[in-house]
Parts: sequence; structure tokens; C-alpha cells
Amino acid sequence: MISGIGVSALLQVALPNAARPAVVAVGILYFAVVLGISIWAARRTNTARDFFVAGKGIGLIALTVASVSVSVSGFAFIGGPGFIYAVGLGAMYIVLPAAVTNVMGAWVLAKRMRLLGEARALITIPDAIGARYRSRGAQGLSAVAILVGIVGYMATNALAMGVVINSIFGVGLGWGIWIGMGVTLAYSASGGILAGIYNDVFQGTLMAVASVLVFLFVLNFGGGLGEISRTILAHDSTFLGPWGRLTPLAALSFFFVFSMGSLGQPQAVHKYYMLRDPLQLKWYPLLKTMGLVLVLLLYFSVGVGVKAFVLSGRLAPLASPDQATPALLLNVTPILLAALVFSGVAAATMSAANSFINIGAAIVTHDLPVAFGRRVKNELRWGRTVTVLIAIAAAITAQQSGTMVAFLGIFGWGLFASTLVPALAVGLNWQGATRTGAMASIATGLIITLALETAAYLKVFSFPAGVTASAVAMVASFLVFFIVSWLTRRSAPAELDPDVRLVMEL
Amino acid sequence: MTEPTPRESHALHNASGPAAAADTTRRAALVALFAGVAAIAVGYAAAFGARGTPLWAPWLLALGIPAALGAIMILGATRGGRGVGSLKIPFAFVILMLVIGFGAALALPATEGPLSRLWLGLPARAAIVIYGVGLLPIFVLPIAYALTFETQTLSAEDVERVRELARVNQVARDMPVAPPQTVRENAARKPSDEQIPE
Repeated sequence: MISGIGVSALLQVALPNAARPAVVAVGILYFAVVLGISIWAARRTNTARDFFVAGKGIGLIALTVASVSVSVSGFAFIGGPGFIYAVGLGAMYIVLPAAVTNVMGAWVLAKRMRLLGEARALITIPDAIGARYRSRGAQGLSAVAILVGIVGYMATNALAMGVVINSIFGVGLGWGIWIGMGVTLAYSASGGILAGIYNDVFQGTLMAVASVLVFLFVLNFGGGLGEISRTILAHDSTFLGPWGRLTPLAALSFFFVFSMGSLGQPQAVHKYYMLRDPLQLKWYPLLKTMGLVLVLLLYFSVGVGVKAFVLSGRLAPLASPDQATPALLLNVTPILLAALVFSGVAAATMSAANSFINIGAAIVTHDLPVAFGRRVKNELRWGRTVTVLIAIAAAITAQQSGTMVAFLGIFGWGLFASTLVPALAVGLNWQGATRTGAMASIATGLIITLALETAAYLKVFSFPAGVTASAVAMVASFLVFFIVSWLTRRSAPAELDPDVRLVMEL
Repeated sequence: MTEPTPRESHALHNASGPAAAADTTRRAALVALFAGVAAIAVGYAAAFGARGTPLWAPWLLALGIPAALGAIMILGATRGGRGVGSLKIPFAFVILMLVIGFGAALALPATEGPLSRLWLGLPARAAIVIYGVGLLPIFVLPIAYALTFETQTLSAEDVERVRELARVNQVARDMPVAPPQTVRENAARKPSDEQIPE
């Protein structure tokens, strides 16, 4: 859920050198497990379907943990706690939607996408859009939108990996980028999504364990949440107000973008195709929500806890808010716990990168050729080739200006949300939606997001407090989708195939 | 049960009884979704005014967000022949929790201080938001989803209907109605190749 802003926020962090023997040892152990899983998965990847949607599918528990893993990035461990430290509880509006987003996704998308996969052997999100509207154009346009978002995400994830690996091993940022991307590439190209999923399971478990242990440690060290709150209230009561230091509009805007926008995040939505038995969806939202809550415990506890520890003088004042987690780990917690969290951060960035590499490869080798009425002959071979190319391009881009790379990462979440939510999430549940409406909505989201983010980046334009390009683009995309579909409503019945209609009516 | 033809589906939609109820639910959900998003849009637009964000703008988001989220969930949960059934209670509860949580945060006076009474470790307004908006729905929606899954979301019969239709479509695609070379090409094609007449 918060992978979108995660990497770009992580890039702002100058992580301290954590290369202590225990941290390095746990880091090496982590990479060894990733390697072992990848070799196992590579032996089981024989077809394009294995490569892109894990062949015959994944069991419930594995898929749930993997989905939690890709929904959270390094932001939950580093940037997020720093954000709470800086603005108080207002930063919680980024993660509060987790209470509803998973079950909302299950009702709105999971069943219909999984059944569409059953009916048509679909493997990508643009596939679903193409099938829903009987439109190669809509499939191609949504593929382009996702690809644009992935370009930004991949560069920022590569840089974030470099930052974390440099912190753990002290190898320098450039080598950190190549090592991180090299390992991710090794398992992405050899074992495809299967390697990705099982590495995600390992990485997600690592994140959850690290998060729970840090949460318990902070509560114990601070004398309980009540004591922590008392310390903060004595010095800075605004921090624990319902909006923190944000304006109500800004906090609510976060809630809107990160709740509704979750329905358009391809790294999470794509997973619906992979569940082996559609009837196992029954427990998916509950398990995923519980998993997310565990992983996000660190986000809340470190942000609030470190604030109290600094105010009470138990921790030195931070050089910058983003140092909240590193300062706690390297000065207060046992070193093994610190090692676990640093590996958890590496895991978070690698799992997100792997997921985006796989989706990007599917778009280039599958969706774009289909949009032009062609089909790649050997999708598996081309999938592996494109995977390598995307990873290398991302690593090279990540070596460029940090500001530029951070900019690329900023618009990812909003771009996916504004281009995909109306056309996919509403479109799969409303037979009155039309092809023209969907394409107009995707184009609106793409153009407005890119135009506003670029204008803001170049300082040509600035938003009022609380308003973001992502939010404006998503709202505009929704309104265009409804209005254009209504204006072209006569074409709606002809745009539904019987099997798609059945899936929409069930 | 057999698969309804498109015409039958349309007839179902125009019928009275459960199908009509589902249609009404869907229509209401679409209207609520549009209204919720429109309210959020007006809230944002107001922030661009020369005098800054008016006090009422956050209220539009505080009401529009629960409306939009509730509506899209209802839209997703509505089934062809029935509305949302017993799910209307958890949906109403969660929409209400969001409205109350955001509304309380906006309306209650800021009284946080060293002597504030704490609720589960947090001052009152923060506790309402963190526990009411961020935690309570977890114990309601996913459990409601699981408990109503077979009746309201997906049953083994539903899956079998889709698989049966997929088999029928596959057979239709494999029918030798074209010259041999074209038949081989057709057999090699995936269903998704055929969706697109543009």
C-alpha cells in the first residue's frame, strides 16, 4: 500500500553506516536464503505462464505473505517513522486505510479478476482491461500508463537498494545499486514471478518479525504507550492531535489517495490472478490485513517512540527526521534486532523491484504486442530478456541525479491510481461503463499526473496545502470516466462478451 | 443453473424482484460514488481560492471519502440476482465509523495536554481516529467478507459456471470451420487474442 511513496522517501535518507559484524552476517545470511529460493524456483519455471503468473497458481498463505511484502516498501521502516517524527499522527493517514483497502480490493477486484483469469487465461492487468472493453486500444493505453509508472518506480527502487546495501555492507552507493539490482535480477530473470513470490514470502516474514520485535521493544523501553504519550503531551501536544502538524485537508487527502488508489496498484492487483483456488479468496482479506498491521507496527511505534525518547533526553536529537529508525536501531536496540531490520529494509526494496520488473516485462512482451495485433512467439525467452534490460536500465538511471530519480518515483502511486482505478475497478463492476469512457479516463489520469508533477517539479506551479497532483488526477479521471461513459452509454451493451458479462454478474 | 444469455441478462436487469433490487443497489452505489468523488473535487477546488482553504472544505472530504469508499465496496459486493444482502450492516457500520472518526477529529475542540485523559494510551481525538478508523474496521469487514463468502461473493457453483463457459468457448474456437492452416492458428491462439475487434 505504501510502496508508492516509499522509495522516493527512502532516497532522501542518508542512512548511517551500519556495517557491524552482526549486521553484515545477517545481511549475508539474508542474501544466501534469497539465492537458494531463486535456484529452486528457476528449476520450476518452464513456460511464460510460469514466468508471469506462477503457472498453476500459489497457495493462500504464500500469496498473502507475498502480497503484504510487495505492498510495503522501505518507507514503512525508514521514511514513514521519520514522517511521523516530523509531523505527528497526521502521518498515520497514509497507513490507516489498510483497515479497509484489502477487503475493498477483494470485493471490487479479486473475484472478478480471478474469474476472468479462469475464463480467458489472462496474465496481466491490461489483459483484463482489454477483455472488459473488447478493446486493444484500452489494453495498450493502460499498458503504456503502467509502463510509465514502472520506469519511475524501478529507478527509485534501484537507488533505494543501493542506499540500504551501502549502509549494511559499506560498499559505496554505486556498488550497492549494482549488487542489489544484480541479486534481484538474478532471481527475476531465472525464476520469474515464482522466485519473486517465494522470495516475497521470506522477505515478508522477515519484515513482520522485525516489525513486531521493534514494536515490543519500543513499548517496553518507553514504559508503554500511555507513558510515551504523556512524555510527548508534556512537550508537544499538537503531535498527538488527530491531524498532527498537517492540515485536515492534507491528512484526509492522504487517506483518499492511499485508500481508493490501492485499487490501481498493479503489484498488488496482479496477484489476484495467482491464487490457485478462487474459493480460497474467502480468507485472503483477513490474512492480508493482519499481515499488513504487523508490518506497520514499526511505522507507528518508532515514529511516536523516538519522539518521546528524544523529548525525554534518552536519545540525542536527530539530525533529520528520517534518522528516527537508524538512530533507534544503532543506539538503543540490541544489534541483532538492528541487523534484522536492516535486512528487512533491503527485503522490502528488493521485493518491490522484483514485482515491477515482472510486470514491466509482461507489458513489453505481451500487452504492447497484443495492442498492435501481434504476439511474441516465445514469451518466456523474451520475458527473461526484457527483465534483464529493465533491470540494467533502472540501475543505470539510478546512478543519475538523486533529485531526478526521486522525482521519477513520486508519481508512480498516483499514476497507477488515476489511470487504473476507474477503468478497472469501477469498469469491472458497472456494465454501463464504455470503452470510450475507459480510454478517456486512462488518458486523463496519465496526462494530468505527468503535467502537474512536472510543473510542480520545475516549480512552475505549486499546490495549496493538502492538495496533491495524485489526488487531483484521480478525481479528474473518475469524473471523466463517469461523464464520458454516460455520454456514450448506447455502445455499452455491445462491448461485453458473454463470459465477461457472466463474471461481472456473479 | 445455466448461464444466462446476454438477452436473458438484460431481461434479468429489467425484471422486478431480486434482480431489480440488485440493479437499484448498483445504481444507488454508482450515484453515491459519483457524489462522493464530486464532493472531494469541490473540496480540493475550494483550496485553490485566494483566501486559502475554507473551513468547510475538509468536511467535504470527511463526508465524500466514506461515501466513495462505501459505494465502491457496495458496487463490488452486489451480485447479479441479489443486492448486498446481510452485508448492508457491516457496510453501514464502517461508513459510519469513518464519518464519525473524521467528523469528531474536525469538530471536537483541541484539548490535548499533559493532563489529558488517555484512551488505550492516546488522547481522545487521536484514539477515535487511530482505533475507530484504523483498527475497528479490521474486526468487521474482513470477517463479514469471510462469513458471507459462499452466499454473497463466490461459490463452487459460480466457479464451475465460469469454467464451463470457458470450456464451451474453447470448443467453439477449436471447431473446424476454416481451412486447416487457419484452424491450427486458431488452436494456438489464446482466448485473449479474440477479444478485440478494433
